[in-house]
Amino acid sequence: MIKKEMIAMLLAGGQGSRLGVLTAGLAKPAVPFGGKYRIIDFPLSNCINSGIDTVGVLTQYRPLKLNTHIGIGIPWDLDRREGGVTVLPPYEKVGKSEWYTGTANAIYQNLEYMDRYHPDYVLILSGDHIYKMDYQVMLDYHKSHGADVTLAVRPVPQEEASRFGIVAADDQGRIREFQEKPDHPKSNLASMGIYIFSWPVLRDALIALADQEGCDFGKHVLPYCFDQGKRLCAYEFGGYWKDVGTLGSYWQANMELIDIVPEFNLYEEFWKIYTKCEFLPPQYVSRDARIYRCLIGDGTEVDGDLTSSVIGCGVRIGKGARIRDSIVMNGAVIEQGAVLDRAIVAEGARIGAGAAVGCGDPVPNRLQPQIYGDGLAIISDGASVPPRVRIGRNTAVTGCTAPGDYQDGQLASGEILDKAGVVS
Amino acid sequence: MRAVGIILAGGNSYRMKELSNRRAIAAMPIAGSFRSIDFSLSSMANSRIQRVAVLTQYNSRSLSAHLSSSKWWDFGRKQGGLFVFPPTVTSENSFWYRGTADALYQNLEFLRNCHEPYVVIASGDGVYKLDFNKVLEYHIAKKADITVVCKRLPPGEDVSRFGVLRMNENCRIEQFEEKPMASDANTISCGIYVVRRRQLIELIEKSAEEGRFDFVRDILIRCRGVKKIYGYKIDSYWSNIASVDAYYRTNMDFLKPEVRDYFFREYPEVHSKVEDLPPAKYNPGSEVRNSLVSAGSIINGAVENSILFKNVFVGENCVIKNSIVMNDVYLGDNVHLENCIVESRDTIRANTYYNGDDGIQIVIQSDERYIL
Repeated sequence: MIKKEMIAMLLAGGQGSRLGVLTAGLAKPAVPFGGKYRIIDFPLSNCINSGIDTVGVLTQYRPLKLNTHIGIGIPWDLDRREGGVTVLPPYEKVGKSEWYTGTANAIYQNLEYMDRYHPDYVLILSGDHIYKMDYQVMLDYHKSHGADVTLAVRPVPQEEASRFGIVAADDQGRIREFQEKPDHPKSNLASMGIYIFSWPVLRDALIALADQEGCDFGKHVLPYCFDQGKRLCAYEFGGYWKDVGTLGSYWQANMELIDIVPEFNLYEEFWKIYTKCEFLPPQYVSRDARIYRCLIGDGTEVDGDLTSSVIGCGVRIGKGARIRDSIVMNGAVIEQGAVLDRAIVAEGARIGAGAAVGCGDPVPNRLQPQIYGDGLAIISDGASVPPRVRIGRNTAVTGCTAPGDYQDGQLASGEILDKAGVVS
Repeated sequence: MRAVGIILAGGNSYRMKELSNRRAIAAMPIAGSFRSIDFSLSSMANSRIQRVAVLTQYNSRSLSAHLSSSKWWDFGRKQGGLFVFPPTVTSENSFWYRGTADALYQNLEFLRNCHEPYVVIASGDGVYKLDFNKVLEYHIAKKADITVVCKRLPPGEDVSRFGVLRMNENCRIEQFEEKPMASDANTISCGIYVVRRRQLIELIEKSAEEGRFDFVRDILIRCRGVKKIYGYKIDSYWSNIASVDAYYRTNMDFLKPEVRDYFFREYPEVHSKVEDLPPAKYNPGSEVRNSLVSAGSIINGAVENSILFKNVFVGENCVIKNSIVMNDVYLGDNVHLENCIVESRDTIRANTYYNGDDGIQIVIQSDERYIL
């Protein structure tokens, strides 16, 4: 009989709509980060580094890139005879067949997968966050406090507490109250969306709430357990943790990596972040290139000026191109003389010679101001921008655009050019 | 596939000087992310050779570690595989490999148990890309007993390290000199041979009977008159790294765009074992020109016409010129290097100056390294 002490269930089904065109073609956990990684590499690497060798990854939205990236789990040492990583999409059953309607519903529909390993504990993670955490330490806390459920929580500044799910705990770590985005928060401990359940507790709760529409951990399962008198404890986590769910926070988190001593250190030997590496050759920096404060991935050829930017793998930067405060993802081509300022260029995109991306004054985006703020210009994956066009700020471009798509050779600030027709 | 591959990676060369103190020549790091043996291995894998045996002997630890898994080169596991054979003591034999032919003789059982009709023999110290199917077709068309892959070197180049050969108009090899002090021919053997498996077994057994141990001197050269030995000429990039100068020059060739495009961007790819390292970081103070930089490196100083291998730390105000810095090296502040090859895992104390005035200077220095 296979028995695993703790297995992990990684929720990777969400779209991440606040990342705009970056997630038009792929799920949020598959979005590149830090030059060569993808967001899901962080929770996956945390799992294997914590000694968890059985991970179920629940997918739903646009899983193709995610599936090819995960494969059978070789880069994270999750290709095992027993356990390893398993991708769990929603599937048809006799009787009721449905998509995953909520975080807990997704876990509920995979009870059979979890049952196979007869776990004592189940770790619920989401694939949306950038952090390094030893889940074994959290499990020790769960055991030593005799908890039925442990929530990982993080102190947040009091002024921001109203944006989060707040947890009020006593001095033994026992949770006394939940508040979902409260106007008057009773504490500054925000839930990180990471839970350890003792298996019987999770199982019973999921079965009891089987008919709950859109069953969600934060909204339904945790309150249910709390009302049932279960012991819920708060595990305080003080390390770096970033939710990169908005374009602004995504850009900010990438930029923080290029500080001299970054708060989030990718260079630690003992807690490596693993990823599927598609590019092997070293990067080449030409005689005329100038690089200041950047992170650059393998296989990239740099012939231009780079300042404070995060460049992925296999990127070609042409002569005289000037890139500042930008993110350029794998396989993109920046032709000569192009200028990027606060731009995010997604995988495989092409910026034509002499084009300027991110210029002019920021104007709120006309169609989706809450997504495209922060003065960024987003070029979506596979898109191409013709030579010499000018693209303003708080903009987005998708598809292979031609000079004729631009009025007066420019895309004004605040506009979206959706050639691929993916913006809802 | 019709051929089984054998890579001879057991030898050493005095021309490598101190560089081979640490690892076998076939394990020498090349162009940032690769090791020398990756080129032969990848050529075999890309030619769909499924079964490869690597014969090791000299300083084989890191080479064996590099080859611990066949998956990086996509060799078969159920059919075929990647095998590493150092010399082993048996009831019949307790000798080290006494030469290339002896190495093959001591592994004759492996050759007898294969089903493939042909054998491709390559060395582990060549940097090239080759489709062995083409060589095999040529071998079959010429009805050759042995085919030797060869390349014409530019005139005036020193050939004393190589096997020098002369062919007739039919490409049949008429003359073969091994490492001549002087020669007026400039076509050299690349150390890559194709031979029918049964033929090879026969030649090796005969050689062993006579107490002869070297494949080139004792088999190839002596058989010239009685076997049909043909040369297969290649024009593409080929380099052998078995001397300090050649190693330096081959690495520096990767600073040329056409060499990089050929190896990194043209199909098929060169594969190697993947190491999980973060992207290279260019801190303020870094000034990099015409250089190759590998993953995991953190640069705070000036690097020009140089190659930085993986995980190199360049301190502030450093000046690195025309140098090769191998992996896991820590360069303290204010270090000046010119025309050097810095050994892997070195730690160079701050304010050190090394200049290879007359020729390449090999730097081996391990000072205290303080890790916070």
